[in-house]
Amino acid sequence: MRHIRLNFWLLFAVCALTGMSGCQKFLDRQPLKATLDDLNTGKLEAQVLNMYSQLRTAGGFASLPWIDFHSIRGDDAAKGSDASDGAEVITEFDTYQYSKDDWAPNDYWNSHYTMINTTNNAIATYKEDSIANPGVVIQPATYRNIGEACFFRAYAYFELVKTYGDVPLFNFPLVTPADGLVDRTSSERIYEFIDSNLAVAVALLPLSSEDYGSKYPGRLTRGAANTLWAQTYLFRKQWDKVVELTNEVISSGKYSLLPEFSDLWKDDVGGVGKNSAESIFEAQASVGLGAATNDAVWFGSSWGTCQQVRQNGASNDWNLGWGWNVPTDKLESEWPDDDPRKRKTILYSGEYDGGPEQGGHGDSIPAYTNPDGVNGLAQKYWNKKVYTGNSPAMRAFTGYTRLGDAGWINHRILRYADVILMLAEASNELGDGGTAEANLELIRDRASGGEGEGRSIVPKIAFVDQEQMRQAIKDERRWEFAMEGYRFYDLVRWDDALEELGPLGYTNRARFYPIPQQAINLTASETGQPVLTQNPEW
Amino acid sequence: MKLRRPGLDRPDRTGLRQLLRVARLSAFIFLTASIQATAHNYFPAYDYQQQAAPITGVVMSAAGEPVSAVSVTVKGSSTGTSTDVTGNFSLNAPAGATLVFSSVGFLEQEFKTTGPGPIKITLQPSNNTMDEVVVIGYGVANKRDLTGSIVKIEGKQVADKPNTNPVTSLAGKVSGLSVIPNATPGKAPDIRIRGTVSIGAVTPLYVVDGILQDNIDYINPNDIESIEVLKDPSSLAIFGVRGATGVIAITTKRAKSGQTVVNFNTTYGFKKLVDKIKLVDAAGFEKLFAQERLNNGITDPFDYSGLTANTDWIDEVTRKAQFSASNLSVSSSTQKNKFNFGLGYTLDEGIIKHEKLQRFLLSVSDEVKLNDAFKMGFNLNVSRQNNPYTLNVDAANILDDARKPIPQISPGTKNFFVRDPYGSEFDSIYVDAYSRLEEGLQGSGVVNPLFKVENEWDKTINIEYRTVGSVFAEVNFLKHFNFRSSVYADISNINKRQYFPLYYGYNPRTDVPSLVTQTSKVLEDDETYRKFQQDHVLNYKNDFGDHALTLTGGFTTYYFGYTKRSSVGSQAGDIPIPDDERFWYVTSGFEDQANTSASSGQRENTTVSYLARALYNYKGKYFLNASFRNDASSRIPKVNRNQQFYAIGAAWEISKEGFMDQQHLFDFLKLKASYGKLGNQSAFKSLDNTPLDYPSYPTLVTGNTAAAIFGTNVFNVADAEYIANPDLKWETVTAYEGGVEFAAFGNRLNGEVNYFVKETNDMMTYISRASLGLKDKLVNGGSIRNQGVEVSLNWSQQFSKDWSFNIGGNITFLKNKVLKLSEDIPTGLLIRANQNNGAAESRTTAGHPIASFFGYEVEGIYQDQADIDKSPEYTGGEAYGPGDFKFKDLNGDGVVNKDDRTFIGNPTPDFTYGASAMLSYKMLSLSIDITGVSGNEIFRTWGSLESPFQRVNYAADKLGAWSGPGTSNTIPKLSQGSRVNYNGSTYNIESGSYLRIRNIQLSYGLPTQLLSRAKIKALRVFLNVQNLKTFKNNLGYSPEFTGDATSFGYDFAGGAIPVVGTAGINVTF
Repeated sequence: MRHIRLNFWLLFAVCALTGMSGCQKFLDRQPLKATLDDLNTGKLEAQVLNMYSQLRTAGGFASLPWIDFHSIRGDDAAKGSDASDGAEVITEFDTYQYSKDDWAPNDYWNSHYTMINTTNNAIATYKEDSIANPGVVIQPATYRNIGEACFFRAYAYFELVKTYGDVPLFNFPLVTPADGLVDRTSSERIYEFIDSNLAVAVALLPLSSEDYGSKYPGRLTRGAANTLWAQTYLFRKQWDKVVELTNEVISSGKYSLLPEFSDLWKDDVGGVGKNSAESIFEAQASVGLGAATNDAVWFGSSWGTCQQVRQNGASNDWNLGWGWNVPTDKLESEWPDDDPRKRKTILYSGEYDGGPEQGGHGDSIPAYTNPDGVNGLAQKYWNKKVYTGNSPAMRAFTGYTRLGDAGWINHRILRYADVILMLAEASNELGDGGTAEANLELIRDRASGGEGEGRSIVPKIAFVDQEQMRQAIKDERRWEFAMEGYRFYDLVRWDDALEELGPLGYTNRARFYPIPQQAINLTASETGQPVLTQNPEW
Repeated sequence: MKLRRPGLDRPDRTGLRQLLRVARLSAFIFLTASIQATAHNYFPAYDYQQQAAPITGVVMSAAGEPVSAVSVTVKGSSTGTSTDVTGNFSLNAPAGATLVFSSVGFLEQEFKTTGPGPIKITLQPSNNTMDEVVVIGYGVANKRDLTGSIVKIEGKQVADKPNTNPVTSLAGKVSGLSVIPNATPGKAPDIRIRGTVSIGAVTPLYVVDGILQDNIDYINPNDIESIEVLKDPSSLAIFGVRGATGVIAITTKRAKSGQTVVNFNTTYGFKKLVDKIKLVDAAGFEKLFAQERLNNGITDPFDYSGLTANTDWIDEVTRKAQFSASNLSVSSSTQKNKFNFGLGYTLDEGIIKHEKLQRFLLSVSDEVKLNDAFKMGFNLNVSRQNNPYTLNVDAANILDDARKPIPQISPGTKNFFVRDPYGSEFDSIYVDAYSRLEEGLQGSGVVNPLFKVENEWDKTINIEYRTVGSVFAEVNFLKHFNFRSSVYADISNINKRQYFPLYYGYNPRTDVPSLVTQTSKVLEDDETYRKFQQDHVLNYKNDFGDHALTLTGGFTTYYFGYTKRSSVGSQAGDIPIPDDERFWYVTSGFEDQANTSASSGQRENTTVSYLARALYNYKGKYFLNASFRNDASSRIPKVNRNQQFYAIGAAWEISKEGFMDQQHLFDFLKLKASYGKLGNQSAFKSLDNTPLDYPSYPTLVTGNTAAAIFGTNVFNVADAEYIANPDLKWETVTAYEGGVEFAAFGNRLNGEVNYFVKETNDMMTYISRASLGLKDKLVNGGSIRNQGVEVSLNWSQQFSKDWSFNIGGNITFLKNKVLKLSEDIPTGLLIRANQNNGAAESRTTAGHPIASFFGYEVEGIYQDQADIDKSPEYTGGEAYGPGDFKFKDLNGDGVVNKDDRTFIGNPTPDFTYGASAMLSYKMLSLSIDITGVSGNEIFRTWGSLESPFQRVNYAADKLGAWSGPGTSNTIPKLSQGSRVNYNGSTYNIESGSYLRIRNIQLSYGLPTQLLSRAKIKALRVFLNVQNLKTFKNNLGYSPEFTGDATSFGYDFAGGAIPVVGTAGINVTF
C-alpha cells in the first residue's frame, strides 16, 4: 500500500500548490497590453493627444457630418456625389428639413460630446495629480496640456452653441449614468464657459509649435486660442474684443498670408500649404510611404477623401473619392470670373484643371453627364481646395492609385486670412473704416496675385461708408472661404440667412438644429420623462 | 460497509488518515467526496484474491447476430471484459459466479455459471435508453440514476456522415438542440441548446474526454464512441460558469477488453449546389435596366457594345466538389493494458472553386492497470489541417459576390501580350486575363468574383496544427473510494500566409488589359492557443441496504492563453515579390523593408473551481441528485470573483412501484424534475461578440484611428476602449425542468417529454451612451426567458428474425422572450443594424423575442398620384412617388415615419423537429432522417437592400416589379434612387419554415460466415445522401442562416447547403 500513499501525497501536493498558495496569483490577470493606469506620468499628455486623434478621425470634426453642418447647409455648396448617394442629406441639410435621428446629425453631436468628455477627464486627471502630489512642482508640459484641453473644450462647445444654441454643459467627468441627466444650459452661460477655457488656453499655450519640440508641427498655439476666441466674439458681435484678439494674433508676428492663394491647399509631397505661415490650426493627417498596401502607415483622415472627385461612369483614374461638398451654380454664377480665386476654388468637370498655376496637375476632368454620372461624372463642379488629392506625386508615394483615398489632407480649421477679415469686419462695425479698408485690401491684393495698387482684377475697395464696407467684407469672406465651411454660420450671424437661404427652404428656426432624439432619450429619468429638453423651436 | 473484508481494515484506515491529513495540510476541503461510477472503474477493488477460472462464451442477438462490445462482468467484483466483434468473450470467474451481460439497446441479463464450458447468451432488445451509461461531467453514471435530461448519440451515427464537424451530423437528432450547418468545410455550425439564452455567448461548451473546449475541430468523427447532449440544470450545474448554454460531451473510443481490432473505413462522394438563387439572365437584365432607367427619366438605351455574354456567375464560381475520408484504427487490449491508435485523412472540398479542407488526424491512447487499485494512462490527439482559404472569407461571401456582376460580362479569359508584371519594363509575356466589369455601371463595390477565386484563392497557405493531450492517474482505495487526477494540455498553432499576386484584367468593351493589382504583398498571421486544465476528482460510492449513494468532489483549474502575430510585407517597386511559394514570407528578400510592419494581440484568462455532487437513490425508485460548483475567474473583478452554481433534482421511477405490477402498458415510467442555477461566461466588447478577457481593465484603443499626428510624426494616445465596470459579474441562468420518461408496449415504444424554463438574469448587457460622448459599458441588467416542451418518441418493432423496423421523432417547442434589459439603457433597446446604413435591423427589447426583426409594414405600392394623395404623408426622409412602397401608418397619427416601424419577424422557430426511420432486413438496412423548423422568419437583404453605391444584377422576382399603375402591389419600381424602398420592411421578411430530407442511408453488412474465411471480422458497405431535398418558402439558397445572439436569420445571399452523396466501406479485421 505504500506506493499508493506516496501517490496521494504527490497528487494532493499538486492541488495544494495550485489550489491555495498559487490561487490568487493564478487568477490575477491583467491585460498584456497597456491600460490607462499603466501610462502613469504620460497619462495627461497621452489623453491630450487623444483629442488631436479625435479631431482627425471623428465624423463630427473630420468627415461628412462636419461638412454637412458647416458647408453643405450653405447656399454655395451642395451635397454632391451622385443622385442616389446620401439622398437624405439633401433633405436634412440642403432643404433644412432637419432630422432628429439620423446618422450624420447623431454623429456630429456624439463626436463633440466625446471630445468634451475627453477634455473633462484629462483636466480631472491633472487635478487628481496635483492633489495627490501637493508639493511637486508642476512641469511646463503639464501646463501646456491643460491649455490644449481647455482649447479643445472651448472649440467643441463653440461648435455646439453655434449649431444648437443652448446645450447641456458638462465640465466634469461623467462617472455614473445619473451624471448625464442634465438639461440645456443657456448660450450665454456656454459662452462664459468658453471664455474661461480660452483664457486658460491663451495663458498656457506656447506661442509656437516649435516650443513643444521639433516633432510637433501643427500643435496648438496661443495664436489658435486667440483666433478661436476672436471668432466667438465675432458671433456675439463684441467687436472690441475681436479687434483686441485679432491684433494680438497679428502682433505675435508668427503668421502671414501666403503670396499665392492656391499654395495654401498644396498638401502633397513637400506641399507648401501644409502647416504654412498662414495656418493657425489644422487637423493633422499623414499617409506614409506605400500606405495603400501597408495599413500601419495610414494615419489619414476622411476630410480629403470625402470631397474628391467621384468616379461614377468615368475611367478608373478618376476614382479619387466620394465627391461630397461641391460648389453650386449659385456660387459659380455670382462669383466674378476675374477673381483668380474662382478657378482655384471651383474645379470644372469637362475642363482642363488649369495646371500648377491654378492648383491643378495638368489633367482634364471628365465631363459631367447626368446626376447618375452614367458614362461620366455626376457633378458639374468640385471643391478644388482639396484637389491636391489628385497629386500624382502623392499618389505614387502612398500607392493610392485609383483607390479613392486622399487621407493625407489636413483640415484647415483656423487660418490667418480669417484673422485679417475678422479684424476688418470688427473695425468697420466700430467705425474704424481705415483699418477695415487696409485689412480687406491685404486679402484682395493677395487674391489678385499681389499685383498691388492700381490692378485691374480684384481691385482695391476703398472705404465709402460702413454699409458699403460691410457688404464688401461679406462678399470677401464668401469668396475667400468658399467651400471651407464658413458660409452658413456667417449668413446666420449676419441675419442674412433668411434672404439667402429662404428660397432653399430655410426658415428662422433652422438657424439651430434639433438635439438628437437619442441624446434626449438617454436622459430619461426614473419617471420616464427625459431631463434633456428639445430646442423649443423643434 | 458490512461487506468490508476484515483483513483490509488497517491499511484502509491509514489511508484515510493520510488523506485527511493531506487535506488538512493543504486546507483543501472536500466536503463531499465520492466515487464516480464509471462502468470500468467503479467496481470495488479487493476481490482479486478469489479463485477464478476462465469462462468462455458467445453473445448473440435475438436475430441471431453476434453482438460485440457487450460488457460482461462478474457480479459483485471488478472482473469484467467485453465481447469482440464475433460476440465471443473470455474471462476469469470463480465457479458459480453470476455473470452480468449488458449492452446498449439490450436488456441486461444475468447468467449463473455452472462450469467453465462455453456458454451462449441471447440478449433481448431493449429500447429503454435508461440502461445507458452516460457522461455527466467529471464522471459517468447510469442514466437510470439521474434526474436530468441527457441524450446520448452513438458514435457510429456520426462516423459515416460526410461532415467534417461531427456536431453537424446531430441536426434533427436531439430535441432541444438547434444545429444550423455551415457549408464552408470545417466551419462550425451555429449550435444552440434550448434557445438563445444570452446576448453574448450562446454556443454550448464541448467536453472532450473531460477537456473543456470551445470547438472540436481536432476530433476525428470516427474516433467518437458517443456524444452526449446535456440540457437540464441538474446535469449542467457541475460545469458552473460554463453550463448555461448546455454541454456537448464527446467520448472517444477506447480499446475493448480482450481483443485486438483493426478497423479501416473509407468514404468517397460528391457535393453539389442545389436550390440556387434565381437571378435574371442577360436579356432579363437589359429589360429591367431599361425599365429602371425609364423610371428615372432616362430614355436613351444603355450601350451594351462589347458586352455580349450571358453568364451565370454562380455557376462560374461553383463546382461539383469531392468529399473523402479514410480512417485506420488499431486497438488492442489485455487485462492490464488498453491501447488505441487511430489515423485519419479527410478531404473536404467546398462547392466554391478552390475551397478545400484537408485534415490529417492522429490519435493514440493507452491505459495501464498497474494493479487492481492503480491505473494510469494518456491520450494524445494530433491534427494538421489545411484550412480553406482564409477562414474569414468563406463561401457565403463569394456567393454574394457572384450574384452581383451583370450577365453581359464574359466569365472566360482572353490571352494578351502584356508587360510582365514581374519582369523588367522590357519583358513581355502572354497572360490569360479575366474580364473587368463595366466600370461606369459596376465600378463601385462589385468585382469579377473570378479575380479572387482564380488568382488569389490558391495563393493562401493556412495550416493549423493542434496537439491535445492528457495524462491521468486513478486509484481505488478503501473499497468505496476512487481518486482520479488528470492534466490536460491543448496547444495549437495556426499559420496563415496569403500572397497577393499581380494580375491583369481586361476592359470588356475595349479589350485593353491593365493590372488589377499594383502591389505584390504577403500577409503572415501566426496564432498560438495554449490551454491547460487539471482535474482532481474524488469519488465515493456505496450501497447501504436500500440506499445507494455516490458522492463526487473535485478541484479543477483552467488556463487559456492566446497570442497572435500579424505582419505584412509588400513591394510596390520594380521587382515584385514573385508568385512562387518559396517567397511567400514577410521577409523574403523581395520585400520593401521600409514598408514591412508587424503587430500582435495577446490575452489570457484562468479559472479555479471546486465542485461537488451527490447522486442518491432509495430502492432504485426514488432518486435525488445535487451538484454544486464554485468558480473563480480571472475575468471578473475581485469583489465578485467567486460565483456559486448549483442544482438539485429528483426523480421517481413509478414503474418499480408495486401498484404498477398490475398494468401491462408501461414497462418503465419515470417522473423527474430539477432546478438549478447555471452560469454564462460571456463577456464581450460589442454586440457582435468581440471577446473581452479583461472586463475590469479596459485596454487602450490602438491603430490608425487612435494616434495623434504632427506633420508626419505619429504618437500613441490614451483612449480607453470602454468604461470598466467594477461590479461586473457573470450572468446566471435559473433553469428548471420537469419531465417524464417511459417505455411501453413491451419496450417497443419509448419516449420522453420535458418541459423546461431557462431564465437568464443579470444578463451582461452592452450599453451605449454615445450621445453623451461616453464609451460603451457592460452592465448586469436584463433577463431573457426561454421556455419550451421537448417530446421524443421511438418505436421499434422486430417483425421476424429477419425484418425489423424502427421509427423515431422529436419535436421541440420553444418560446424566447426578453423580459427586460438593464435600466441603464433608457431606450430599452439593443439594436443590430445590418446592410445599407443599417436598414436591416434586429432589435432586442423587453417583451419580444431576442433579435426580432424591425421595420415598416408594407401595405402595398402607390399606384398613382391619386393613391399618394389619399394616403398619409410619408415623412421618413426620402422622396417617394408612384411605384414606391406604401408603408402603414401604424400609430395612426396621419403621417408615416420612423415611429411607424414595428416588429416584423422573429428569427427563432416556434418549433423544430426531426424524425428518422430505419428498416432492416437481415444485414441490409435503409434509413431516412428528416429535419425541419416552423414558425420563424428570415430577413432577406439581397435583391432589396443593396447599398446605393452598388449596381447589382437583378433577382429574378424583379421581373414582376411595378412598372405602371396596376402592375404590382408587392414589388416596388426599380430605381436605386428611390431610397424609400430601401428601408427594412415586411417586403424583406420571408417564412423560415422548412422540411428537409436530411439523410438517406442504405447499408449492407456482409455475413460473418462469409468473411471469416478471409480473416475479416466484419465488413459493411453503405450509400449515403445528405440534404437530398429541402422544402422551403424563401428565395435564398437555404432556409437556415447562422449568426450570433442578437443578429441571426439574415439571408445575405450566402448559406448554400449542398447535397452530398457518398459511398463507403468499413472493414474490421
